[in-house]
Amino acid sequence: MHDTIQKEMTLNEKLNILSDAAKYDVSCSSSGVDRKGDGTGMGNCSKAGICHSFSADGRCISLLKILFTNECIYDCKYCINRSSNDVRRASFTPDEICTLTMEFYRRNYIEGLFLSSGILKSPNYTMELIYAALYRLRHVCNFQGYIHVKAIPGADPALIRMTGYLADRMSVNVELPTAEGLKLLAPHKSRKNILTPMRLVQNQMTENKQEIALYRNAPRFVPAGQSTQMIIGATPESDYQILNVAEALYKKFDLKRVFYSAFVPVNKDRALPAPIDNKPPLLREHRLYQADWLLRYYHFEAHELLDEKNPNFNVLLDPKCCWALKHLDIFPVEVNRADHRVLLRVPGIGYKSAGRIVKARKLGNLSFEDLRKMGVVLKRALYFITCSGKTMYPIRIDEDYITRNLLNTKERLPEGADGMTFHQLSLVDDVNFSGVNRL
Amino acid sequence: MREIYICTDTITGLCSALHDAWLENRNREAGIGLRGRIQQQLFCQYKTVVETAEKTRRLQRMLKRYLGYNAYWDIYYALLSDDQEKGTEVFRVMQEARNIPDSRKIMDHLGNSDVAKVFAMSRSVSNEAHMYEEFIRFRELKNGILFSEITPKSQVLSCIGDHFADRFPLENWVIYDKTHEVFLIHRKQERWGLVWGETLDPDAVSEVSEGETDYAALWKEFFEAVSIKERENPKCQQNHLPLRFRGNMTEFSPRL
Ligand code: SF4
Repeated sequence: MHDTIQKEMTLNEKLNILSDAAKYDVSCSSSGVDRKGDGTGMGNCSKAGICHSFSADGRCISLLKILFTNECIYDCKYCINRSSNDVRRASFTPDEICTLTMEFYRRNYIEGLFLSSGILKSPNYTMELIYAALYRLRHVCNFQGYIHVKAIPGADPALIRMTGYLADRMSVNVELPTAEGLKLLAPHKSRKNILTPMRLVQNQMTENKQEIALYRNAPRFVPAGQSTQMIIGATPESDYQILNVAEALYKKFDLKRVFYSAFVPVNKDRALPAPIDNKPPLLREHRLYQADWLLRYYHFEAHELLDEKNPNFNVLLDPKCCWALKHLDIFPVEVNRADHRVLLRVPGIGYKSAGRIVKARKLGNLSFEDLRKMGVVLKRALYFITCSGKTMYPIRIDEDYITRNLLNTKERLPEGADGMTFHQLSLVDDVNFSGVNRL
Repeated sequence: MREIYICTDTITGLCSALHDAWLENRNREAGIGLRGRIQQQLFCQYKTVVETAEKTRRLQRMLKRYLGYNAYWDIYYALLSDDQEKGTEVFRVMQEARNIPDSRKIMDHLGNSDVAKVFAMSRSVSNEAHMYEEFIRFRELKNGILFSEITPKSQVLSCIGDHFADRFPLENWVIYDKTHEVFLIHRKQERWGLVWGETLDPDAVSEVSEGETDYAALWKEFFEAVSIKERENPKCQQNHLPLRFRGNMTEFSPRL
């Protein structure tokens, strides 16, 4: 039955269904590996990743993000493609995937392929199809661009391993922050089932590093590393729990990235939270990304940012500002002398500007004006730094005073995050801050 | 009297001017002006530079040797910017490099305002070049050539040649810079090159191959399907992808 329907479906319709079905997966980045073309095919990779467009929701489009199939036998409650939903179903053939990838790539529409999939017939059957598509793309089309592929939990380890040698990045989604959440919303999945392929990929990567050390030309196994994604707001975990899970994933599984996806209610189900004005929790997602950044690039640890007593991020101030306000005793720091790690902890100083400061101060004392040119956001940083012993203006190192001023500087949130506008934020400015002060 | 060297707004022009200025005026103030874009000032003496490949090579070699490779690239990128003071600023940076203990660290010296300006120009050119690596769209013409038109502010073509040549070694492709009227041309398995002084034949580049319309339509299909309605955010989209790029992009052009 399915087969006859599929034959009548044009490539256009399939692409519509299978990209629409893949869009809730947020990891679209093409970063993590530098690879020059070898001159015999098409494509290369750039370490920082390249975006090629931005969709109407403001998200970067880097990869052709599609599902192999949405004819899924599972029934995850949060997913639009769950078997109990009445949606249009389709599957690509490996050939179609190659044609789309190659033709899009040569027009510079995309950086490569992101291939995810529902479970068609069985995990093994699905993984085999994915492998076939990648094999063809790499060895018949000679495609050297970026490929991110999902490892399907429950598939034969040998299949996952073989696929990994064709891909740049592999991911297994943990889906929900805790095992309980998973049990509730994804009855066919289990924590163990998800972590097994994740461990497999990690071990294979370690082994591959040794192979490469021995033979420089040994084939590479997921050179851009492994990532995962969690849905935020579908289950009741706190930010503290989520951040701890992320930290553990980075440490124990050596992940390159953890992505957070604000829950978009696509299904009505009693097990799911009722949507608040139909808006995904974007501000919360944004705060998690900020904190995640602090873990990966600023040497912060989860317990420094949140704890049992304050398990959720502040709505009004970003995690780094909150941390700094709780540690006023170490501020202000002298920009011309402070340790690189200390500079990284100053609100308004990013890791690029911290690097520039460390280099430039060897050639002479830096002034506030110099800092501004290096990209330091002075209206935030000024409460926490001195240049040659002087603060920028006469300031008081006082929590209330600084909090009030920081709130006045108005953070640049991604427009419309959680429907909280700047106007609303400034209304809050006039009320008393006792709540905020105890960040 | 302050001498101003007049040159064309090309790498050869600017390098030749810097070469002459360095030879004759390295211990004094001097300026470098772009032909057609100078405002005459009193008490200045204007000199037209003889532009040669030899001077260019010599200057570039000197920059690489004394300022190092990284600073050389910063300067090269700055010279492609659309800022008309770029030549003069670079000249001052070369002078400033003699005042610090290690001239190879010159681009770290952001406390110096000329260095900061050249740094800013270089950053803005490399940002723009990077955006074109992202946003260039090729269409396949009848004869199989991949063709793209862009309207950049700075002269980005020579910054993006290597990127696309490495990516599409087996394709014939052309990128046309409408602002500066320059072509970047790559023939299958050859090196890329810049071509000045040719005119674009609008008819030839509007005849596309058979598959082209279909793939452009598929791409649009994808582009629209992948956005999440509940998260729609045109402001954010515009911050990342400014309107000025969209005129040449497949996904923003009307359906054929
Ligand atoms: S496995 Fe679950 S999340 Fe994946 S497509 Fe099927 S129903 Fe959706």
